[in-house]
Amino acid sequence: MLAGARAASISQSELENHDVIKERVLHGLLFASACVAVLGLVLIFAFVAVRGVPIFAKAGVVQMLSSTDWSPMDGRFGILSFIVGSFAVTVGALLLGAPLAVGAAIFLSEIASPRVRSIVKPAVELLAGIPSVVYGFFGVIVVVPQVRALLGGSGFGLVSGCIVLAVMIVPTIAAISEDAISSVPRGFREGSAAMGATQWQTIKNVVLPAARTGIVDAVVLGMGRAVGETMAVLMVLGNAPVIPRGPSDPASTLTSIIILDMPYASGDHQTALFGIGLVLLLLSMSFVAAIRILSRSRKAR
Amino acid sequence: MRQRPDTRLRAAGIALIVVAAASLLIPPAGCSRQEAVKTLNISGSTTLLTMTEAAGQLFEEKNPGVRVMVQGGGSSVGIEDAANGTADIGTSSRDLAEEEKDLGLVDHKVAIDAICIIVNPSNSVSNLTTEQAAGVFRGRVTSWNQVGGDDSPIVLVNRDEASGTREAFWKKMLDKQPFDRYAVILPGTGQVRSVVANARDAIGYISVGFVTDDVKTVSISGVSPTKGNVVAKKYGLSRSLHYFTKGDPKGLAKQFIDFVLSSQVQEEIVGVEFVPVNE
Repeated sequence: MLAGARAASISQSELENHDVIKERVLHGLLFASACVAVLGLVLIFAFVAVRGVPIFAKAGVVQMLSSTDWSPMDGRFGILSFIVGSFAVTVGALLLGAPLAVGAAIFLSEIASPRVRSIVKPAVELLAGIPSVVYGFFGVIVVVPQVRALLGGSGFGLVSGCIVLAVMIVPTIAAISEDAISSVPRGFREGSAAMGATQWQTIKNVVLPAARTGIVDAVVLGMGRAVGETMAVLMVLGNAPVIPRGPSDPASTLTSIIILDMPYASGDHQTALFGIGLVLLLLSMSFVAAIRILSRSRKAR
Repeated sequence: MRQRPDTRLRAAGIALIVVAAASLLIPPAGCSRQEAVKTLNISGSTTLLTMTEAAGQLFEEKNPGVRVMVQGGGSSVGIEDAANGTADIGTSSRDLAEEEKDLGLVDHKVAIDAICIIVNPSNSVSNLTTEQAAGVFRGRVTSWNQVGGDDSPIVLVNRDEASGTREAFWKKMLDKQPFDRYAVILPGTGQVRSVVANARDAIGYISVGFVTDDVKTVSISGVSPTKGNVVAKKYGLSRSLHYFTKGDPKGLAKQFIDFVLSSQVQEEIVGVEFVPVNE
């Protein structure tokens, strides 16, 4: 800001030639970085599609998406159980994590004193930066034995997966919801208070409705993170290639099966893993698209 | 007038960032020059991991300037890595599959292993017939009281498909019939052991080399998985453990394989976990 003020104070004539060149070079560099991002996306999509599409042609799209029989060694490539597994852990993680995260966000922006906030907020942000394999360790060492003690069985399965994922998506959802809630104009709250509403009534009837769309965005982003998460899920989910019959059954997700099989897969099996990657890519793109459509319809209104 | 050094500073900062980013992309060329170490890359079976690491360490001590890098991943990974040259030696706890036989791999048997069925130490079952064991792992037998134990559901722990142990178990114990698909799948021998050690109703299978007091081995039709029973060929769930090389081994790989097959290593390192090949 200071630099901006200074820059404004220099007249055009003061800018020497090499400053203009510098500007151009900077523009070029920044443009190149933007291109790299786009190029990366295009290349990744093209690469995964080229490697993955043949399996859909060979095994049949409907057959692959509707069958649960994953026996790559025998040439059967049903991936329905992985799709169901991905959805099951994602929905479970959202049910556990989203209320917690939104609660934390409300607390941070509406209730917490500046001192408490200065401790809790960085803690939530730090939680977002923990590598997922560490969450996996936490899952194996803490969550799995607790689930085993509670539900019996091995402890590896949907419940453990959902709990670990829920912890992982809380910071994402909390941080973005908190932004949304904080950006509700102060006047809304003052108006509500002036009409005699209590703090809870204000939060419930004024602040949350005003921040609703931002919170929805946050939840969708958390959903995207949950669907794409691999390592932590792989470590606690039990990895059985089946549709789980109950909450304590092991399951697999689109991501975990890729990690598990990739090191040794060859031929059609490998192609099938790229096919799974393609399904995953389309799935997470549709999440992003969902956010876009949501925010566009909001603007239109 | 004062912003001149300021912009220059900023330009220098940007340049620094660009250089730093670029240096991350370009691998440092100087590294290989200063290190005159020869590296032997080994990857594959998690069953053979500890033994190979121990032998590798001793080999490093006896041959200064040599680094032996040992990685897991599973037998299929070892075979794949040896075939495509990623590893000098690929370790495997299974034989080559039909489609792997024309990869030009040379087999070196380095140890004989027994696969043990393991249960939690608190489990009262200590013997299973072959049929019972196969029934359990196929998902036909689902409660411990069907095989003489408590009235509690059996928790099956299986290995992933890259596992040579799984392959051997499937061939010899299940007669190539499919495993129960609802079994928990864990990607390592050590994990199977730790889960069985902690979950009361769990059952799994691991190489004899990994059996500790945390788990209890189960006799199969009255024969327990002891070294004596393996040598006498009484215990059926035994198999050879292999090192594979692409073509005949040369240089370091050959030295290392000869070293592992030497009577000292066979006795002191291989023999701790498995049965030496010459017995």
